[in-house]
Amino acid sequence: MRGARSAKWVAGAVVVALSATACGGGGSSNDGKNDGIVSMEIGEPQHGLIPSNTYETEGGEVIAALFTGLTQLNANNEVENDLAASIESPDAKVWTIKLKDGYTFHNGEKVTAQSFIDAWNYGANQDNAQETNPLFSHIAGYADLNPGPEKKVATKEMSGLKAVDDLTLEVTLDAPFSAFPTQLSFAGFAPLPKVFFDDPKAFEEAPIGNGPFKMDGKFEHNDHISVVKYDKHPNAKSIEVKGVNFKIYSNADTSYKDLVAGNLDIQDTIPTSGLATAKTDLSDRYIEESDSGVGYIGFPLAYNKSFQDVKLRKAISMAIDRKAISEKIFLNARMPADDFISPIIPGYREGVCGDACTLNPTEAKKLYKESAGLPNDTLELSYNADGDHKAWIEAVANQVQQNLGIKVTVKPYEQFQGILNDLGDKKLQAGFRMGWNMDYPHMENYLAPIFTKKAIENGSNYAGYVNEDFEKLVKKADEEPDAAKAQKLYQQADDILLQELPYIPVYFYKLNAGYSDKIKSLKIAGGEVLWDTVKLS
Amino acid sequence: MGRFVARRLLQAIPVLIGATFLIFCLVFALPGDPIQALAGDKRADPNIAAMLREQYHLNKPLYMQYLHYMGGIFTGDLGETYTGRQVSEIVSERFPVTLQLALTAFGIEAVIGVLAGAMAALRKGKFLDNVVLISTLVLVSLPVFVLGSVLQLQLGVEWKLTPVAGVQDGWPTSYILPGIVLASTSMAYIARLMRTSLMEAVRADYVRTAVAKGLPQSRVIGFHAMRNSLIPVVTFLGMDLGALMGGAIITERVFNLPGIGQQLAQSVYLREQPVVVGLVTLLVLIYLVANLVVDVLYAVLDPRIRYA
Repeated sequence: MRGARSAKWVAGAVVVALSATACGGGGSSNDGKNDGIVSMEIGEPQHGLIPSNTYETEGGEVIAALFTGLTQLNANNEVENDLAASIESPDAKVWTIKLKDGYTFHNGEKVTAQSFIDAWNYGANQDNAQETNPLFSHIAGYADLNPGPEKKVATKEMSGLKAVDDLTLEVTLDAPFSAFPTQLSFAGFAPLPKVFFDDPKAFEEAPIGNGPFKMDGKFEHNDHISVVKYDKHPNAKSIEVKGVNFKIYSNADTSYKDLVAGNLDIQDTIPTSGLATAKTDLSDRYIEESDSGVGYIGFPLAYNKSFQDVKLRKAISMAIDRKAISEKIFLNARMPADDFISPIIPGYREGVCGDACTLNPTEAKKLYKESAGLPNDTLELSYNADGDHKAWIEAVANQVQQNLGIKVTVKPYEQFQGILNDLGDKKLQAGFRMGWNMDYPHMENYLAPIFTKKAIENGSNYAGYVNEDFEKLVKKADEEPDAAKAQKLYQQADDILLQELPYIPVYFYKLNAGYSDKIKSLKIAGGEVLWDTVKLS
Repeated sequence: MGRFVARRLLQAIPVLIGATFLIFCLVFALPGDPIQALAGDKRADPNIAAMLREQYHLNKPLYMQYLHYMGGIFTGDLGETYTGRQVSEIVSERFPVTLQLALTAFGIEAVIGVLAGAMAALRKGKFLDNVVLISTLVLVSLPVFVLGSVLQLQLGVEWKLTPVAGVQDGWPTSYILPGIVLASTSMAYIARLMRTSLMEAVRADYVRTAVAKGLPQSRVIGFHAMRNSLIPVVTFLGMDLGALMGGAIITERVFNLPGIGQQLAQSVYLREQPVVVGLVTLLVLIYLVANLVVDVLYAVLDPRIRYA
């Protein structure tokens, strides 16, 4: 009976293997409606949970719950002081930041000016290869920590950081920068406790923050991150939620199904597949509002002569039917762009792009005729096929083809970096799609990183756009300590872009979010859930 | 038998080296830069990018990278991802999920497939036979993601019988529906294979002899006919175990199971050479072992097959 015995052995092995591996599963599920714990969808964060190494929104959500920074966004996307009691500067160059007392890290350590200095020095040091490293570049002494590839970093501190006393931080910048307090709302500027520097590797799996929530267990990769309320946080009382379970999904379609089924409480990005039915699925639990992203079409201005003609760019812009794209292709999950600045940013001017961003085939054709035109009257538009871009680029191509009477083709790249590489090699002779999502809610963030000369090397000026007047205005605005005056100057810089159209703004992103019936209301700002606005039902 | 197993195990070594090198070349040949891929639509900071290239030997030629990688493997180090996580950690995190899923699917397809096939064969041309034939035809022609999404929507979202996604409820709750979906195609193949092969066996001389000897029907079918007709089925099942481990990409994605398949797809996308090579090596190993087990099982099922 050899066969029978072997069969039993195999069956036994299978059972053992299954029950052995089953131990990994289990964990908390969503029983008990009013336990005060809500679940929220995120994607797997790219890195471990270190503020200065988190430049994407998935990990950003968790960092925002675990850490409290100097400033924060309120529900209207305005920046207000958070841990900072005051942030002042006479010249936009030397900033004196007074901290509020009473903040502690989750291990009891007091948050002091030094906690910030240590964290920023770590983030800015090239040896640590932190994602948000470039954000620290305004601080004096940044260059010492970033001597360049294969060069040794001589010091560990930026000269611009000084702790006057426990609760006073003095920051000297390289050059005046009026948007600095706004920039501080970015999570990369959060403070770090001493224990971090002993073992960053261990820290990123179970971070100790100073925010309203603390870790409950470890970062369970690709599964979940649980946080519970930290009662010693000064704002703890204003937060109704007792804890958050960030559930990690690899597929937004799946998480949307979970949301509709009631297994998930918050999803801040509803996938395109769910948009058509979201209003009926979720009724008043569906949120639709403006968001920070902008979608453009860019051109290789630096080396392709035919695109250097403003009339040609304007003709293409006026041949695009933005309304049809927002409504038909994106089912209203986008809105027609009418500025280079997103509508949620203070300083945005509705309709300022005017005729240049409005469909007008007659005028567009006329402008095209007046311009030198394109070789063979052929335009190519490239896009990266890994995002949701095929449909709208094809629509733009069809519209331009029809409205200008020229031949327009599309060229898919596998990934956006393919486009970047071809731009770098001066091989790309086509227009390309481009998108921008803010780092911090300030006009400056929509101008300097994309259109200044400096951003050709170190930023996202992929077009290679250079305009001296624009440079001067941005610089002047950076140096203006008076926020209102600075905004006026940034708007003047924006006006130059609107005249020149180095990129063609096509649409603004919208926030399409939803929540379960466990929640009564909530607000999202800067792509992050404001936990003190979450009210449970 | 012992020598046979030993020889097969030795053969595995060149296969493993060849496979890892091939995969390494393929991943390396993919267009795109892993460091820029980390930065998404924004340009990678040139300073940081150079640091990372140095750290992960990306600025060295392919053969050097391969030697580095293999050197690590022999000292038990599977390398790390470009975001600084240990590959061994990822494997140990993800492997249990895929193993549970694959074994669940394996159990479902083996039991249901064999039973359905056997019943169809014994009631050839009857109603039950037609039910099996039609349902297997449907299963084979339905793409996995369609079946998965439909079942997920109906059983999970509408009727709330099963979890919609994730592994929070552990085995078996979280794995049954994905297991059925993953098993569906193979289950249909097995049912048909079993049906054909049992129908042949029933007509064979030795079965007729057994019937003539007056053995009860349960003994004739259950022991004599079944045992022989299981050989092609076992071959298929053995190969399928490897396929289940590696081929669960779509199922894992639909049901958000953090397994090997999902990781593999993501790592190919991000050009994470060490992860892709590590996971594929593991899958090659599983295939090799599964093959070995199948060969050994032949002898168990049919004593006429001998190995020197």
